[in-house]
Amino acid sequence: MSRRYDSRTTIFSPEGRLYQVEYALEAISHAGTALGILAKDGIVLAAEKKVTSKLLEQDISAEKMYALSKHVVCAVAGIDSDASRLVQRARNMAQNHLATYDEEIPCDILVKQLCDTMQGYTQYGGLRPFGVSFIYAGWDPVQGYQLYQSNPSGNYSGWLATSVGANNAAAQTLLKQEFKEELELEDAVQLALKVLSKTMDSATLTSTKIELATVGSGADGEVKYNVWKPADIEVALKKHKEAEEAQKK
Amino acid sequence: MDAIVSKYTRPVAGPLEGLRSGGERKSAFDFELPSIDRPAAFLRAHTDDATNPDARIKIQHGTTTLSFKFQGGIVVAVDSRATAGNWVASQSVKKVLEINPYLLGTMAGGAADCQYWERWLGSQCRLHELRNKERITVSAASKILANVMYHYKGAGLSMGTMICGYSKQDKPEIFYVDSDGSRVPGHLFCVGSGQTFAYGVLDQGYRWDLSVDEALALGKRAILAATHRDAYSGGSVNLYHIKSEGWVYHGNYDVGTEIWKVKEEEGSFNDIRT
Amino acid sequence: MDILIGLQTANEVILVTSRAISRGVSVLKHDDNKVVKLNSYTAMAYSGEPGDVSNFAEYIQANVALYGLRHGIEMTPNSVAAFTRSELARSLRTRKPYQVNLLIGGFHPREAKPMLAWVDYLGSKVDLPYAAHGYAAYYITATLDRYWKKGLTLEQGLKLAAQCVSELQTRMPIDFKGCDVHIVGKSGIQSADLPPIVVAPGVANKPSEATLASA
Repeated sequence: MSRRYDSRTTIFSPEGRLYQVEYALEAISHAGTALGILAKDGIVLAAEKKVTSKLLEQDISAEKMYALSKHVVCAVAGIDSDASRLVQRARNMAQNHLATYDEEIPCDILVKQLCDTMQGYTQYGGLRPFGVSFIYAGWDPVQGYQLYQSNPSGNYSGWLATSVGANNAAAQTLLKQEFKEELELEDAVQLALKVLSKTMDSATLTSTKIELATVGSGADGEVKYNVWKPADIEVALKKHKEAEEAQKK
Repeated sequence: MDAIVSKYTRPVAGPLEGLRSGGERKSAFDFELPSIDRPAAFLRAHTDDATNPDARIKIQHGTTTLSFKFQGGIVVAVDSRATAGNWVASQSVKKVLEINPYLLGTMAGGAADCQYWERWLGSQCRLHELRNKERITVSAASKILANVMYHYKGAGLSMGTMICGYSKQDKPEIFYVDSDGSRVPGHLFCVGSGQTFAYGVLDQGYRWDLSVDEALALGKRAILAATHRDAYSGGSVNLYHIKSEGWVYHGNYDVGTEIWKVKEEEGSFNDIRT
Repeated sequence: MDILIGLQTANEVILVTSRAISRGVSVLKHDDNKVVKLNSYTAMAYSGEPGDVSNFAEYIQANVALYGLRHGIEMTPNSVAAFTRSELARSLRTRKPYQVNLLIGGFHPREAKPMLAWVDYLGSKVDLPYAAHGYAAYYITATLDRYWKKGLTLEQGLKLAAQCVSELQTRMPIDFKGCDVHIVGKSGIQSADLPPIVVAPGVANKPSEATLASA
């Protein structure tokens, strides 16, 4: 029975469901965890890199963090190749906005535009939805720091802290317990590592297994994104481990 | 021998002598014209690069000149750029023609036409002095020029000039004369492609009771304004002051250095950001 | 040729536009308004090809409103100017381009700064402290070069605008039936009156025969 509806994204099942969209969501729930936390003075994104083989060259293989514009970064959970297309699309949207309006695209407008395209893939014929959820960290001069999440249906929502991918329910519970409104960016990074360390399979975190990105104001006071280098992640991990040790004692 | 001498000798031409047809060239009115119906149209077709960019002959055009009367006499100020099409042919043209020690003529339009006819006017003025034992009036001098211009109307001459000096009654006089044959007396004129820019400064800063220094500064400033905005004006400013005793030259000012000085002193030219 | 003048003061932008609409040998209208309000803090003065101007102004007005509706936030004057420029640049590459010249005056509420953009039908955009379009530019840019100073008060700005109109009324050979004034500042867009327009001193102070004789 359900086959009739499964094979078409554009058609509702009698129960009012769009199976293809749900399958896409299912695909994402197996992907590496990604999470984002909104701090007072910035945003942190963290993601788990699933190391499929030790022969895989880490430095040049697909990443989880992508800069979309001067003030927006996103973390990816899902099918990398689908994500790649959407990131490409989002970057074009951002540059188009800049060229037309001589201003950086506001974060919410970029998310909205990208989600409109994703929605299109759940409705027009002959297409399948994108198998990707994003977490966006962005800043604009009007609304300040913003954290969004989107999924293959084209729905998006704003969050204080959120996660997607494998184990996201556990991550979400942890975040709910530990999140505080007055969190500083540095503390948010530590919280992100803490959550990841609990939700990931591997016992110890290393810079080869995770990725970090932040949006915050630089030394010159201008807001910039930063996709962290392994060395910087190691520094943060060291601090994280010290805190864990201290707690054990 | 006498026959040969007489064959190659012409009587000296008197002022405006002639208007006679045939025979040798006798006067200003016997200038040779192209033997065609409408010389001006012919000339335009071959020299006006605005309507015909392929025109091979590019006549020098484009200027800013001004003169005005004030309590202390007359100020005459001009730029020094000559252009032929887009080509800046010279940055050091003398556009004030010193007709005699009491008369100045300014030069706008075709450089050659102005130079030729104003020099010719100078000789006519001198002949007037010799014949009548007194200086020619500005009115009379400008009228001679205007008459010739009117005679050649349609022949394609291009000239816009101000004839400036003092009258017999010791009054300052300015006459605008152009190649259409117009002759207009007035107290303040700006002529040339940059005229509107010069007016924009001169009109707003003008007073009858300007001191001599103020008047010279205003004239210089108005030309500077035009050189800043009109691509066909530039180079330097030449300044003259005419008193009843004759004209006095007040120097040459490179607009390239002058503009920074003026910007600094006045706090003006805010389109230039430093 | 219609007159468009714009000049910035310390806290606002003044837009001056002529009132006449002329067609052929007649003046059709004596009280035309050549300024449209694009949003709370952006006004646009326009001139150019009849028909094109009003159509383009409405098109931009509608698109700026649409952006506000879509995104729940008004465009900044700078982005309005950039958008308008890009529309003209796009139009230029079509079979029948809009032939419209514009001055866009705005006030940036967040930065509390006025801005003035000069835009022409070829898609050029320049941010300037003062600007004009058409023949008017030939008469008054030199005046503005001379008298415009940084940090003018509104009163000084209006006086300078009146000086420009006086120069035009004195030297331009056409009657443009006076000018309208719009001010864009922190309280939005308002219309205003110019100080009385006088004949330019260069013409008004013509010496009499008696003064000349005594010179």
